[in-house]
Amino acid sequence: MTFTIVHLLPELLGTYGDRGNVEILSWRLKAREVAHEVVTIGVGDSIPTFADLYLLGGGEDDAQIAALEILGKKNALQSALKNGGHIFAVCAGFQILGMQFPASGDRTIAGLGLAGIETVSAKHRSVGELLSRPTVPIEMLTGFENHGGQTRFLDELQPLGHVVSGIGNGQGSNVDGLVTSQIVATYMHGPAFARNPDLADWILSRKLGKLPALSAPIFNDLHDERVSRAK
Amino acid sequence: MKLRVIIWFANFFGAISRWTKRGSGVMVTGRIILKLQPNAVSLLSNKRKVILISGTNGKTTTTSLIYSALSVKEKVVSNYTGANLFAGLAAALSKNLSAPMAALEVDEMVMPWAIRQTNPEMVVLLNLGRDQLDRLSEVRFVAQKWRDALACLPKQCLILADADDPFVVWAAVDWGNVLWFSSGAHGHIDASTCPSCGAVLHWSENGANYSCGCGFEKPNAQWVLVGDELSGPQNQNVKVLSGIPGRAALSNAARAIVAALYFGVSMQGSSAAISKVTSIDGRFGKLKISNTNFRLLLSKNPASWRETLATSASGPTSVLLVVNANTQDGKDTSWLWDVDFTPLKQRYVVVTGERRLDVSARLTVNEIPHHVVANESAAATLLGEVEADLIASYTAFHRLAKSVAK
Repeated sequence: MTFTIVHLLPELLGTYGDRGNVEILSWRLKAREVAHEVVTIGVGDSIPTFADLYLLGGGEDDAQIAALEILGKKNALQSALKNGGHIFAVCAGFQILGMQFPASGDRTIAGLGLAGIETVSAKHRSVGELLSRPTVPIEMLTGFENHGGQTRFLDELQPLGHVVSGIGNGQGSNVDGLVTSQIVATYMHGPAFARNPDLADWILSRKLGKLPALSAPIFNDLHDERVSRAK
Repeated sequence: MKLRVIIWFANFFGAISRWTKRGSGVMVTGRIILKLQPNAVSLLSNKRKVILISGTNGKTTTTSLIYSALSVKEKVVSNYTGANLFAGLAAALSKNLSAPMAALEVDEMVMPWAIRQTNPEMVVLLNLGRDQLDRLSEVRFVAQKWRDALACLPKQCLILADADDPFVVWAAVDWGNVLWFSSGAHGHIDASTCPSCGAVLHWSENGANYSCGCGFEKPNAQWVLVGDELSGPQNQNVKVLSGIPGRAALSNAARAIVAALYFGVSMQGSSAAISKVTSIDGRFGKLKISNTNFRLLLSKNPASWRETLATSASGPTSVLLVVNANTQDGKDTSWLWDVDFTPLKQRYVVVTGERRLDVSARLTVNEIPHHVVANESAAATLLGEVEADLIASYTAFHRLAKSVAK
């Protein structure tokens, strides 16, 4: 069976190098000889609803709204979740999944409503190294955050990590991201899978089961260096 | 205190900074001038014809080439070594007070201030793209700043603007006096949405053209560069001779020729002067470390890395990448993943710099074999007696550029 990764709208949601997450997943699967394909969905393409994993990255305001409009058509992501697909979303992609997010000119935009979160404008932009202690059984998480939003949980939800340094979902929240049975989200760029090989493998293993070990020390070295520098 | 006395005083301290090897003295000079006379840039621009040059990439090169072209005819002051903030502008204008012209490189975010202070006769807008997103702003925000600032230009001011870049076009399009320039660039990594209305921008002809339902579209360029042939609106034609390699340098040389033409320098005269410039503030300069002869190249964001990798591809087989993430470099290295390093595939690649592990991870996934070493000396030991390109991010580049053979 071929594992299918859908890279959603990289032209719109690809401002912060998040396309690297797709390349890294593909590289890690290839190194393990796991049959897979990456389907890149551009503006105007229809979104497949039977894929295994959907990736959303970060982007600027206008691009975020344009992406939302495309993703909202035909409820493609709702269908994908119903069909058992998983989503990994970063920053603007994370915000899009919620009930609402802010945009320039004091606008509030209704999100896809796939997660019980809402994002509002933060007083200060959150920019810098972000370190969090994960709520799932993987190593410490490291990334670089750069966002003007503050994301709140509207339901009892599980964050991806408890913030050790940086801001994460918002000043005072002390958490970053979100984990549900099918969604993982974070404010971490870097990209997240470059700095956190454990996270990449954990997300893959949620669909593929236990993965064979992979010797790729550069990613572990990068992870350890970034964690030690951020502490 | 009189401005001339302030300048003498500031130059004295600038010279001390130079003699004591603390720096070039430019920033010290400029800061003192502005401290003692906050309107110095305005006063020193008075009675001068000022050209402002800005953009994400190519500012220093274009400014230097415009300076070279204008110098054929007139005395010119310039900050062509890249000191493009407030103090750098003040220091540049304080040189040679009898020079009737000033060609000033301006940081993108300083443009509104520079426009207000200098009342320019010409503004050259090169491009806008993602750059140091942790420190600077997202691209549309910068374009909005420019758009607002350009609305305050003096009436006679001419804008030379890039028609291939939707952000530049949106910033300049409402100004009545624009010369559009095109070098045939295709696509734009950050312009997936219309800068004017936010809808998805429609790119056509393989990225050579763009338009939006709101009416925003690529303007017709009066000045067009095809290959190395530059042609203008009145059937002007000149072969652009660039002493600096690469497509981006050729495009910047062409803009310099157009800019100088509007100040009375013939296209042939400009082109000849520009062709003699082979290194700008260390760019493409020669640097020997141990037995390795490096050619130094600056690269600082995805767009400039793509240009530099393309330019370097015709260079020596060996290449050293040096990437830092200090404040001036941008502390977020995520952008490395927006660069396709495939052009390095057949080359002997060595990596160093403070963020060498980030680069190594990127190259690993890009399937580029490479070596990671602690510093440039270790790289030179590994490379041995060869010619090599050294592509460095901002802070590494400026440290190494000090050792470039003059």
